[in-house]
Amino acid sequence: MTETVIYAARKIITMNSYQAEASHVAVRDGRILGVGALDDLTGWGDYRLDDRFGGKVLMPGFVEGHCHLMEGSIWRYHYVGFHSRTGPDGVVHEGLTSIEAVVDKLSRVEAAMPDGDAPLVAWGFDPIYFAGRRMDMNDMEKVSKTRPVVILHSNLHILNASRAVMVSANITADTNVEGIAKDAAGQPTGELQEMAAKYMALETIGLDYYTETAEKLALDNFGRIASQTGVTTATDLFNTAPEDAVRNLVAWTAQDDFRFRIVPAFGGASVPAAQGVARVAELIKLNNDKLRFGIVKLVTDGSIQGMTGRMKWPGYYNGLPNGVWNTGPDQLEGMVQAYHDAGLQVYIHTNADEASEVAINAIEAVLACSPRRDHRHTLQHCQMADESQFRRMAALGIGVNLFSNHIYYWGDEHRAKTMGPDRAKRVNAARTAERLGVPFAIHSDAPVTPLGPLFTAWCAVNRLTASGYTLGPNERISAASALQAITIGAAYSMKMDKEVGSIEVGKRADFAVLEDDPTVVAPEILRDVPVWGTVLGGHVFPARDGD
Amino acid sequence: MAIPLTVIGGFLGAGKTTLLNDLLAQDTGLRFAVVVNDFGDLAVDGDLLSAHGGDTVTLANGCICCTMGDDLLLAMMNLVRRPDPPEHILVEASGVADPRPIADIAVLHPGLIRDAVVVLADSELVEETAADQYVGDTVRRQLAAADLVILNKCDLLDDNDQNKVHHWVAGQAPNAAIVKARRARVPAEILFGAAMRLPASAAGHSRGHEDAFRVVSITLPRSLDESTFLAFAANLPKSVLRAKGIIRLRDRPGQWVFQLVGRRHELSPAENSPPENHLVFLGTPEMPGEAALRALLEVALRD
Repeated sequence: MTETVIYAARKIITMNSYQAEASHVAVRDGRILGVGALDDLTGWGDYRLDDRFGGKVLMPGFVEGHCHLMEGSIWRYHYVGFHSRTGPDGVVHEGLTSIEAVVDKLSRVEAAMPDGDAPLVAWGFDPIYFAGRRMDMNDMEKVSKTRPVVILHSNLHILNASRAVMVSANITADTNVEGIAKDAAGQPTGELQEMAAKYMALETIGLDYYTETAEKLALDNFGRIASQTGVTTATDLFNTAPEDAVRNLVAWTAQDDFRFRIVPAFGGASVPAAQGVARVAELIKLNNDKLRFGIVKLVTDGSIQGMTGRMKWPGYYNGLPNGVWNTGPDQLEGMVQAYHDAGLQVYIHTNADEASEVAINAIEAVLACSPRRDHRHTLQHCQMADESQFRRMAALGIGVNLFSNHIYYWGDEHRAKTMGPDRAKRVNAARTAERLGVPFAIHSDAPVTPLGPLFTAWCAVNRLTASGYTLGPNERISAASALQAITIGAAYSMKMDKEVGSIEVGKRADFAVLEDDPTVVAPEILRDVPVWGTVLGGHVFPARDGD
Repeated sequence: MAIPLTVIGGFLGAGKTTLLNDLLAQDTGLRFAVVVNDFGDLAVDGDLLSAHGGDTVTLANGCICCTMGDDLLLAMMNLVRRPDPPEHILVEASGVADPRPIADIAVLHPGLIRDAVVVLADSELVEETAADQYVGDTVRRQLAAADLVILNKCDLLDDNDQNKVHHWVAGQAPNAAIVKARRARVPAEILFGAAMRLPASAAGHSRGHEDAFRVVSITLPRSLDESTFLAFAANLPKSVLRAKGIIRLRDRPGQWVFQLVGRRHELSPAENSPPENHLVFLGTPEMPGEAALRALLEVALRD
């Protein structure tokens, strides 16, 4: 018989309704044998009492329902974001709050690089905080006159290229392509958007940019960030499941030191639906306790701040034309029908409100044709949905995973440019979802914003923008609701709530180990509750080596 | 040699796949590649496969079909990088895609030249689709991006309705020449303008398309005056769908390639071409004949 370990903690917050708090949890075979006081657990027989968490607070391991494995791979490049961010090695990369600071850091990086023309790549840049000043080639020339330098913006749809890059790509004042920013004199500034940006990333950085998310280093990096942030289950929300990447995932998730459970969502539009259905069926056979295929992701519109979201009337506040469909309404319905009929769960990316309407229409039509209870089809992001849409979602059994981090990172932008002061108040309307009974989770979309469920909860609770404005106070939710959303709520949205998401007998022994109690700290400092590390299936993973 | 890229756009059901199937079944004499969303309705017959690599099939006639998977840009770059690159690339844009950024790839990529954006429209349904709540603006954006619009399924309309929809499309696609078609049948030269044979293209009617299209071939007796010639090109009637030529200019040495598609035209230096001075025009039956075109050119030929 395997060993039983009983962990004592300062407090255990279970997220389990019949027993909300406890002092001890017993673990056997990587699963939770019982929760309660020590006396409630000793009846299971011999045990070892482990009190290393005696001063700490245990919660169910956090579940990130919408992020990407790229959060692990992107750390190969140099972080130059406005906000401080902790790397996989635990090093805090201080936020760079001016273009000069970015140039200064990259100059130091460049000086340490061997001579030659290996590109210098940075990421996480966000000029919206620089009062209208944009980075240009003159700034970048201070980093290097000769080496190709590329700075990816935090949204990954825009980048800045150095003059060396622009010259070698022959992009000049005469290059007549959408997405090449030009100055008053008509000269390119080095800032490139969308297709032009993607082309340049591919040309300069090469294929690695796309294909290395399933590499061991990237997965290890992701695992370390997961331990630092209390995450034990995370999605990879767009995976075309190439054979070699799948082989890697299967092999590495089987190892005991793999730090998180991964739920890859299959890119449902990357192949014809019949082929996709067959592929997902094959992938499901490869599932193990840390790898869970079975979700299909479809994409309707683009992004709101990228001006590619599909908005209902009156459209973009700054008057720009409506965004683009990646999948149009008719095709979407056909795809949802095919995956739904195969018994699969569908996540639909919808950013602006016309996209959520089209997604709801599609699911409604599919359900009229093939009724199915508890399908748990979920709208992802769903940032602009209005109350009438949430009511339809409730009626149709559709769940939602809201992009609460957007309130902080782009809330000011939404107020000023994309939605205007009125509609911005309802961005990521968690309270409306809760009030109308739409099952909801909240997410980071890492690496677009940093992985960190307590930060995401803080966003949903406080709704503060980066400038300190409270955006739509009526849509704030309680800390208790937010903590539900990052545990059992997210687990429910991926149909894993019988396995993870609460500390309850029979479930996996996945815990977030916290230094403080998020249910009693002031809501304003919820994001500051320190994370000691995690426990995954009974294996302890401290965030910092040596703990 | 950079590879010309033509983007085939148009809403779902407008006839893009029919057009490609028709093309794949012809002997165009050109080794071209077709990039599609999926092989779904494409007539890629198993018998035709001579090689198979990932999601690329090479047909017996040397043409290549490949799927874009989730990344069109990667698929195109892989095509350019092939040891046996195709002579022309056609991309079938998705039914809701804006074809313009796809054509932009060819402007950016040194291995590609932007040939044209060809948009198909279902003459019976296009106006209705363009008024749709969700996709109307997408359809109008596609038309606005077009160099050539193929007004398909014209046989389903009487003359009066054909004229009405032609007029409406002309308003939506101000930069495009419009060509009527049924079953998406158009001469291959419409799609492969950049690869049009010179001077072999015989004047008269385009092969296999009896009365629907007109080809005029003009050999020029001497050099052209550049600015007068460009004015001639800019003022050509919209019945001229494509034009191509290798010409000599009075004040610029060497030979020049002239390309026109819809309202767009350009001159570029000719590399290694035979010493000729020649223009070919491809147009609808309304296109001016040889005599009329010669008369229009006369000013540019004057000393």
